[in-house]
Amino acid sequence: MARFDTLNRAWMVWDNPAPAPEGAVLEYTRELEKFLAEIERRAFRMAQVALRDPDDALDVVQDAMLKLTRNYAARPSQEWRPLFYRILENGIRDLQRRRTVRKRVMTWLPGPKEDPDNEAQDPLDNVADAAPAIPERLMQAQAMQRLEASLRALPARQREAFMLRNFEGMDVAETASAMACSEGSVKTHYSRAVHALRAQLGEVW
Amino acid sequence: MSEQDNEAFEVRSRALFQDSVDGLDMRIRSRLTQARSAALDAADGRRPWLFGWKMWAPAAGVTAAAILGLGLWIGSPIGHQAATLSDVQSNFEDLDLVAASDEGSADAMDMLQDDIDFYDFADKAANSGPAA
Repeated sequence: MARFDTLNRAWMVWDNPAPAPEGAVLEYTRELEKFLAEIERRAFRMAQVALRDPDDALDVVQDAMLKLTRNYAARPSQEWRPLFYRILENGIRDLQRRRTVRKRVMTWLPGPKEDPDNEAQDPLDNVADAAPAIPERLMQAQAMQRLEASLRALPARQREAFMLRNFEGMDVAETASAMACSEGSVKTHYSRAVHALRAQLGEVW
Repeated sequence: MSEQDNEAFEVRSRALFQDSVDGLDMRIRSRLTQARSAALDAADGRRPWLFGWKMWAPAAGVTAAAILGLGLWIGSPIGHQAATLSDVQSNFEDLDLVAASDEGSADAMDMLQDDIDFYDFADKAANSGPAA
């Protein structure tokens, strides 16, 4: 009898399926596009600060976008930002771990030792720009470079807290959700990050 | 390090970051747009690509054009001419069949000759009137 009921229910579903929420899908796709368009450049820059390499940064941002749209598109839109940044940060950490492993393996292999993370080894970095840059812009770019270098020197959690709170403008609760930790931890990480950055950059920065 | 200094630092670092975001080059912007589109397609099209109408649009267009072209060609004088030529060809084939139908027993042309003789005789008989 139970089997009959199951079959009957299955038949009813087959015979009269619930209408597909096409309008709802379109609506959240549009919202999702707006959200991604708004967030993508900042997300890319944050990934670039952490990873240095623009191609790697693009890869992790694209991966985060895909994961968000595939797995969490139907979630309420206010949850997207913390979810997106959690996915992004996980991607960044995965890539950094892979790099560390690769570096260890490379040290055991014969041949010229090359550090892919060492910016000074890129000869293009030492070539002067042909076009003279506007001094103010140049100073800003240099200040940003110093800030990026200091951010990279921070522990990952502090860097994450600083970028989400300060660059992305997330509040403590959202940041805690993105970092999967308590609000108290966010405050601690952020405060330590600000102090460490100011100590590194100096008063004149 | 006062609270006010910290705030000034936060404001400055945020402004610098925003400047660097605004100054992203077109290559990066374009690649980000592509990544976004790919992600949205993935969310949008969970159904297999085989069933996407966009996939079949070019093939459907080519088929429709071929059908239209065929229709126009048949309706045109060239099409008619082609049809006439084919009719003539089939008539020749019929004649060959008639010619070859009695192969082995008698010549088909003899049969035709017999028929002509018969019709000639019938005509004369009709014109001469009934025998008194």
